[in-house]
Amino acid sequence: MLKIWSMKQKQQQAENAEGADGKKKKKVTAAQLRVQRDLQELTLGSTMKMTFPNPDDILNFTLTIEPDEGMYKGGAFAFSFTVNQNFPHDPPKVKCTQKIYHPNIDMEGNVCLNILREDWKPVLNLNAVIVGMQFLFLEPNASDPLNKEAADDLRTNRDAFKRNVRTSMAGGTVRGVQFDKVLR
Amino acid sequence: MADAFPQALAGPSSKERKYDRQLRLWAASGQQSLEESRVLLVNSDGPWGNQSSGVTGVVGVETLKNLVLPGVGGFTIVDPAVVTEPDLGLNFFLEENCLGKSRAGETCRLLRELNPDVEGSSHAKPIAEIVKEDPDFISRHQLVLISGPIQRSSLDMLCTAAKDNGIPVLYTRSVGFTSTFSLQLPDVFPIVETHPDPETTQDLRLLNPWMELDMAGARVTNLESLDDHEHGHVPYILLLLHYLHKWKQSHNGAVPSNYKEKTEFREMVRSGARTNTPEGGEENFDEAVAAVMKSLNPFSLRSSLREIFEMDECKNLRQDSAEFWIIAAAIHEFYKKDNLLPLPGSLPDMKAQSADYIALQNIYKAKARKDIEEVVGLVRSIEARLARPVKVSEKDVEIFCKNASHVKVIHGRNIPRLDGDARTTKIIKNNLTNSDSIISLFLAFQILDDIVTDIQQGNAPDESLDNDAVWNTHIDRAIGVITSDNPADIDEEARERIVQATQELRRTEGGELHNTSALTGGLVAQEALKVITRQYVPLDNTCIFDGVRSRSEMFKL
Amino acid sequence: MASADSATRWKYLYKALSKPGPFSDEDWVPGSETISALESSKVLVIGAGGLGCDILKNLALSGFKDIHVIDMDTIDISNLNRQFLFRQADIGKPKAEVAAAFVEKRVKGVKITPYVGKIQDKDEDYYMQFKLVVCGLDSIEARRWINSTLISMVDFDNPESLKPLIDGGTEGFKGQARVILPTLSSCIECQLDMHAPRPAVPLCTIATIPRQPQHCIEWAHQIAWQEQRKDEPFDSDDMEHIGWVYQTALERAKQFNISGITFQMAQGVVKNIIPAIASTNAVIAAATTSEALKIATSCNPYLENYMMYAGEDGVYTYTFEAEKKADCPVCGNLARKMTVDPDMTLEVFIETLGERPEAQLKKPSMRTEEKTLYQRFPPQLEEQTRSNLKRKLRELVQDGQEIAVSDPAYVIDFRYRLIFS
Repeated sequence: MLKIWSMKQKQQQAENAEGADGKKKKKVTAAQLRVQRDLQELTLGSTMKMTFPNPDDILNFTLTIEPDEGMYKGGAFAFSFTVNQNFPHDPPKVKCTQKIYHPNIDMEGNVCLNILREDWKPVLNLNAVIVGMQFLFLEPNASDPLNKEAADDLRTNRDAFKRNVRTSMAGGTVRGVQFDKVLR
Repeated sequence: MADAFPQALAGPSSKERKYDRQLRLWAASGQQSLEESRVLLVNSDGPWGNQSSGVTGVVGVETLKNLVLPGVGGFTIVDPAVVTEPDLGLNFFLEENCLGKSRAGETCRLLRELNPDVEGSSHAKPIAEIVKEDPDFISRHQLVLISGPIQRSSLDMLCTAAKDNGIPVLYTRSVGFTSTFSLQLPDVFPIVETHPDPETTQDLRLLNPWMELDMAGARVTNLESLDDHEHGHVPYILLLLHYLHKWKQSHNGAVPSNYKEKTEFREMVRSGARTNTPEGGEENFDEAVAAVMKSLNPFSLRSSLREIFEMDECKNLRQDSAEFWIIAAAIHEFYKKDNLLPLPGSLPDMKAQSADYIALQNIYKAKARKDIEEVVGLVRSIEARLARPVKVSEKDVEIFCKNASHVKVIHGRNIPRLDGDARTTKIIKNNLTNSDSIISLFLAFQILDDIVTDIQQGNAPDESLDNDAVWNTHIDRAIGVITSDNPADIDEEARERIVQATQELRRTEGGELHNTSALTGGLVAQEALKVITRQYVPLDNTCIFDGVRSRSEMFKL
Repeated sequence: MASADSATRWKYLYKALSKPGPFSDEDWVPGSETISALESSKVLVIGAGGLGCDILKNLALSGFKDIHVIDMDTIDISNLNRQFLFRQADIGKPKAEVAAAFVEKRVKGVKITPYVGKIQDKDEDYYMQFKLVVCGLDSIEARRWINSTLISMVDFDNPESLKPLIDGGTEGFKGQARVILPTLSSCIECQLDMHAPRPAVPLCTIATIPRQPQHCIEWAHQIAWQEQRKDEPFDSDDMEHIGWVYQTALERAKQFNISGITFQMAQGVVKNIIPAIASTNAVIAAATTSEALKIATSCNPYLENYMMYAGEDGVYTYTFEAEKKADCPVCGNLARKMTVDPDMTLEVFIETLGERPEAQLKKPSMRTEEKTLYQRFPPQLEEQTRSNLKRKLRELVQDGQEIAVSDPAYVIDFRYRLIFS
């Protein structure tokens, strides 16, 4: 132990770091620190808004996407973000809080986005996730769907799909399923 | 076991639940082998003179702990020692009230508490005496564990009897912070389920597809006409077959064979991907591009399997040949036909529609099944030719076929010693000149064993264990044995490494530390499990552990 | 020191501690001083499972007399193939208590204090009492927590605040042991990329184009359960729940002509089961205990700093020194002490940060563990925290509390411990 400590003190002089006296308080966690940095580095266009129900808890928030072009223009889509203490080893958990008609989002709000699951890496940040989410509304992807009916519509009859999107966004019924009204 | 799983909600039995975490490593077949095995532990062989009661045998008991827990069939402990005070500071499987009682009996009792499925018995006599009274004693076991040092005569007797009966032996030494152990396997020890990295066993046959696979590839004709969805879901195997077909048309029927051609071919595949998709590319094409370099290689037989085919046991079958050799010979015949092994039949997961993937998987499975049937046919005709009374099971043929490319035969070697064969001496010498090697510890153990033998046989006083002059004489003698041809081979630095190794052993005067023996007991049990289950690849044949520098090294001595 | 009795009982251990070896440090003083240092060392074992059981046994028989153990779990039948301190009759009881009682009964003179609960229940005062910490955990999250806790405890004025962390882990025939000297050597967070993330299958594959039995199991577990049994929380230890997933997966597999689903596989996928055997645990547990003994007594050099073991093909170990990362978010930039006037407003405080010698923080965002002090972006959060700028520091932070500061101009973050003047 003595040996370790003398090595320590040498290093201390080099780095000029200091500890505090007395009892220590809880420390900002690695996950919090990373989210603080990620939030600061976000680039949110005019189409995205974040809300923090509790501003002191930055690990839980809502992202609202309001596409200004594409088939989903005019809607406001809300997603809950839950970041756990194992972030960024674990990806954030993202769910759509409304029932919407979208080939890559199912009725339970699950989102199929590669970087939220199989392609997540700790070097990715929240901005990458948000960019990916935005892209889903500009270019819904029919080839790997979560909502198979919506994907089939998109693939086989793009115009019918567009009509269904409008209907669903207005709170209407598509194929017997009623969707939430998400028009701004 | 997987087959026997109940279809109902009942779930696994309580035994399956208890062993769940290990069944995932060696499956029901490995578990069955384990449960059918009985292990003999020879844990000491009498005192070292008047001062020491001899080997404390912690490493042997710790090894058994790791075999009793996973459910070995049974164990026998042979240990003439009685429990003394120092045992209680070393051995977890002894308690206060064991003092003065038989160590074999007491450790046996406390080990049995670990698992009611396991049978255990003990003998408080030297092994030589037991074998004298009961000559079949050793052959009733499937594995022999020895905690050294034991008398030279006992060691020789055990190793010979084990070898004669085809029983593996693990000989272990643990002193202070260091240990070493060696595995003596039968002359020929085959392993079918070596569990190689799945990547290395992949056999897709893209360069030489059989008819059904070729036809599946040929059905992909007009990629351009597919819509984006279909185009993005053609399994990469079929994409590669399709582009290989195109390549052959412009290359006189030849496949891409060198690095340059493969790179060109890869570009050809890459250029087929559509980039105007939402993701800006296609995953199935990415998979195809990534597979070009590793999957488009002509089949070549691994040298280890080639050697097996050339072995006498494979070429000259007898009526009583082991089943391994009957199947190996059948597979050799299969191989001679068109230089291929039976298809393992597994297909990696890939981007594809469910039905397309399953259809492709079925093509691979059907071919694998057909190959197995062919091998079974060859096995049957060999059996008929040899007039073998019992047939090899189809299940065993199937397992062999699935693992054929990586089956292994280890040629067992004897428990090594300094004055053993010339090859052992040469390897020791070569490693001694390498300053990074810890072979010096092996030498130190050999020297310690010599000194103990001298004391046990009354040729040296008890105090020899802590006598510099005695150690120096033995070190010189050991160096003499290794360098009989040229003493200059061992320089001062190498000698110093040997001296240091002996100094480390002398810190405890040859005694064990619990923790080192616990670690070594884990390593030895691991090897025992691999030998008993005949799965994975056991040590060939000596391991040295250095707890001072937290490292180990393997040697074929 | 020891009585004559214990000198006989611990004969071999005492010999090893009373005689220098060729590799022990030149300054080391062997003998009674070292032996009493060992016997008075209080050590903490985190985890009383596969590694923990062996670690407790090994520590007790390596001369440690005062051992504490934390574990929140209870004993399950699937533990019995390796966790050798537990019997059939112990199923359902807390691991920490059963393990502690067993070793205490078996090894005379050792005191083992169990705590049934989470490591996060305990504060720095608790961890400060130990000489070193040995970890046998299966959770990355718990490892990261104890790592950052021990690092934040290091106080340069107090040598006793440095608690070596010895960590073990196993998977099947493989495992590793590592020694971490908090703030001095590579830490868990520096080595985070050595933990491969669990391979995941795309959700859309599971939802629409399953190809493997595992895809059907994931569908049953993640999608069908949500749709059909939404109101019941899924419990992976409830056999009825696993049975339902198994049956549902079987039906889906049938639809797609996929074969090969077993109950065992369903359980493995849902619980993310990692194979585990007694022998690998024995190796890794003893490897960590060996380092504990060497560090507590200095009788031999300790591991610097990582040993991996693989037993599928012979006996393979690889010992190397993992590097300390300069930009490690936990040990890369330690908290600096900063004396501040508590009546200063946060706004003024932020201005002073722009003039610090180590970094001019012009656009910082900052927080404490419980409070967002000021976050410059996104705008909604800026608005919500702007009012803090006019408040005095004493209204926002406590004396001695740590704040963490990020600034876009720097790739690393800064931690300050605010001391009120």
